[in-house]
Amino acid sequence: MKNKIINIPVSVLLLILSFYTLPAQSTDQCIKCHLDLDDTHAKLFKTDVHFTKGISCAGCHGGDATIDDMDVAMSKEKGFIGVPSRVNRFQVCINCHADENKMKRFGSNIPTDQYEKLKSSVHFQQSFNDQGPLADCVTCHSVHDIKNVKDPTSKVYPTKITELCGSCHSSAEFMKQYNPALPVDQVSKYKTSVHGHLNAKGDPNAAECASCHGSHEIQPVKDSRSLVYATNIPSVCSKCHSDAKLMAAYKIPTDQYEKYVKSVHGIALLEKGDLSSPSCNDCHGNHGAVPPGVESISKVCGTCHVLNMELFEQSPHKKAFDEHNYPECESCHSNHLVEPATDAMVGTQKPAVCVNCHSTEVNSKGYIVAGKMKSLIDSLKTEDSETKNILDKAGQKGMDVSDATFSLKDVRQVLIQSRTTIHAFNLDKFKEQIDEGFTIVNKAKINGEEAISDYYFRRIGLGFSTVIVTLLVIGLYIKLKKVEKKS
Amino acid sequence: MEEKNKKPKGKILSWLDERYDLSGLLEFAKKKSVPKFRETIWYYFGGVALLLFVVQVISGILLLMYYKGTEDLAFESVHFISTKVSFGWLIRSVHSWSANLMVLSVFIHMFSVYFLKGFRKPRELTWYTGFGLLAISMAFGFSGYLLPWNELAFFATKVGTDIVGQVPLIGEPALKLLRGGTDVTGATLSRFFGFHVAIFPGIFVILLTLHLLMIQRQGIAEPEDYQKLPDDEKKTIPFFPNFAMRELLIWLIVINILAILAVFFPWELGNKADPFSSAPVGIKPEWYFLFMFQVFKFLPGEILFLPGELVGVLLFGIGVLLWAIVPVWDKKTARGNKNRLLTYVGIFVIIFIIVFTILGFILD
Repeated sequence: MKNKIINIPVSVLLLILSFYTLPAQSTDQCIKCHLDLDDTHAKLFKTDVHFTKGISCAGCHGGDATIDDMDVAMSKEKGFIGVPSRVNRFQVCINCHADENKMKRFGSNIPTDQYEKLKSSVHFQQSFNDQGPLADCVTCHSVHDIKNVKDPTSKVYPTKITELCGSCHSSAEFMKQYNPALPVDQVSKYKTSVHGHLNAKGDPNAAECASCHGSHEIQPVKDSRSLVYATNIPSVCSKCHSDAKLMAAYKIPTDQYEKYVKSVHGIALLEKGDLSSPSCNDCHGNHGAVPPGVESISKVCGTCHVLNMELFEQSPHKKAFDEHNYPECESCHSNHLVEPATDAMVGTQKPAVCVNCHSTEVNSKGYIVAGKMKSLIDSLKTEDSETKNILDKAGQKGMDVSDATFSLKDVRQVLIQSRTTIHAFNLDKFKEQIDEGFTIVNKAKINGEEAISDYYFRRIGLGFSTVIVTLLVIGLYIKLKKVEKKS
Repeated sequence: MEEKNKKPKGKILSWLDERYDLSGLLEFAKKKSVPKFRETIWYYFGGVALLLFVVQVISGILLLMYYKGTEDLAFESVHFISTKVSFGWLIRSVHSWSANLMVLSVFIHMFSVYFLKGFRKPRELTWYTGFGLLAISMAFGFSGYLLPWNELAFFATKVGTDIVGQVPLIGEPALKLLRGGTDVTGATLSRFFGFHVAIFPGIFVILLTLHLLMIQRQGIAEPEDYQKLPDDEKKTIPFFPNFAMRELLIWLIVINILAILAVFFPWELGNKADPFSSAPVGIKPEWYFLFMFQVFKFLPGEILFLPGELVGVLLFGIGVLLWAIVPVWDKKTARGNKNRLLTYVGIFVIIFIIVFTILGFILD
């Protein structure tokens, strides 16, 4: 009895010590007993990172790991909870992983914000059958055989993670319960990507799901907090692709981001917030990311610039570019550093891109056509500007030229269309288009000039009528004086 | 022999004389005379107003050929008149300018009659019909202002009719009657168009006919000082041809001014009214309503437990009524005595109108 009384505080002390300091192998009655029973979970747990840190089964399941009496050790009084409920099993993990001090006591300096991030993520939404969060810690990190993230045998190790995410995201059966619109081909596309190939070869540096989507903080793609939201994508990609040290092994340049942010697309997306402007994934693909080949460049650009692509494909350039294996759009517009297309790009003098291939000696036909196109565009712009001045002049004189002024807005449209038609590299087609602009300008110009003439006509008319009426006034006054003198 | 000389010469005139006794009419015109005194110049403004009314009728009929009084087409039709119709710009500009000059002439005419005490017995009815003509002239201006259906006119009409709505008892029904509903809409435009081209011209012509007949019957009023002169010292000038020629002379000058204004300062059209947009900054009514508009702007929200606008409407109503019935309460002038108070009131009213009109122009 005396021994028993002494044993109670000793047992408590042992329990505390076993939990924090003592090697589990020597004192952990849970693992000892369960191994004796040939329990699979216990066998697995022996390789678990938690076991190596001295955490016993009781760390999650409760109870007293120091007592060899099973009934006492696994009694409610000792805090035994059995298998944690699916609904709130994450509580068992965050008990330590959200507490910086506890983690330090185990000698770990891994972050403790996982739960905070997970709480607001898309995965922490409640499952449809009230079984707790859609995905919790165990869903990805597993249980009993949890490994350090950097351990190649960890389920969340870079080369394993695709398989892990795909276990849900590649299952149409599962995904349609939560988001029927979400595709389920991400993993199969990923396997075709450069990233996927490298990953399959065991390269942990190759981008996988978590590299772009994040881990605990994953949000729906259309949520601006998501790492893969359109405006965040360039910086996500640049995390690796602008890292010269990392990219050195792959022998690819690292200036894509630097160029992209200065490009017309980058400015539109990142500065103007225009979500229709392409980001990295719009040209390279996202899950199936590959560098577009020479063949596919015009197709990639053509997904947005449809007319330009169609016109180019009908143009004489198509055949020539194919023969020389020139990239299509990129040859004139560049790739990451696509600058706003100006009229200066056409013509026979730098910075016109036509002179890169055409000159008076080489490919001279194209040189002549480029010169004529440039001359027509410049002429229309000059005529448009002159006509605006004439209409302004008429307006300043108080004449109503609103119709003509309004009609000039169509010239802008014609110029836009003509700049597109250039991609057909067909002078006749181009002239047909731009002539519409000349017709509009000429009509407006005539209206403006007529208004100015009308202005002077009105004043001359007024002058005549004033003179006539004034003469009548004078005549009448003389007559009146005569009449009054007589009377 | 003398009888023969009075007969008009020429075949046509003889033919007309034989049938319509033109010689009698000529004889009457020759005998008709107008008192001559230093203020005679003020007599001519009645004639100027008459000339401008005729210009209004003619230019208005020409505008009617193209104008369309509906919400969808009003603005476009006025734009069409100003830009596409030959001399349309001139007709529209003349119509707008002569409307303003006509109101100005009627005001001058009214004040000259007031200061020369032309409203005294037996010419009370001439005064009343004249006052009616002024009211209709202003109503012509108010209704015509909306017809181009531009932004400024739309909101000015809204403000103007809102003030009508403040009149006690009859305000609300009058507002609905004017607007053709609770708000200014296409129904208001149709209504104003009807008032402008049918109802107001009808009333105006009746009042004008009565006004002219009364003047013809009673002759032109003589000022108090002139009336007191002995008969041999009273100077007169024959109505025909002397007065008629002077009137014609002034008419020609007015036509010249009108043409210069219409050509050099063509009436702007502005933007089409959009009932769903917010009121633009600086909406103002026509200048002859500006003094009232400005007074309403100065009025506080509440005066002696009454809404400020209601007090304004009541004060203006009483003021206009007293002005209109001046022949009734001015007993002193009726007895042949000088009524200096009346002159001071007149001067005060003119200064009041001028000051508040200027304030209305210069203040936002």
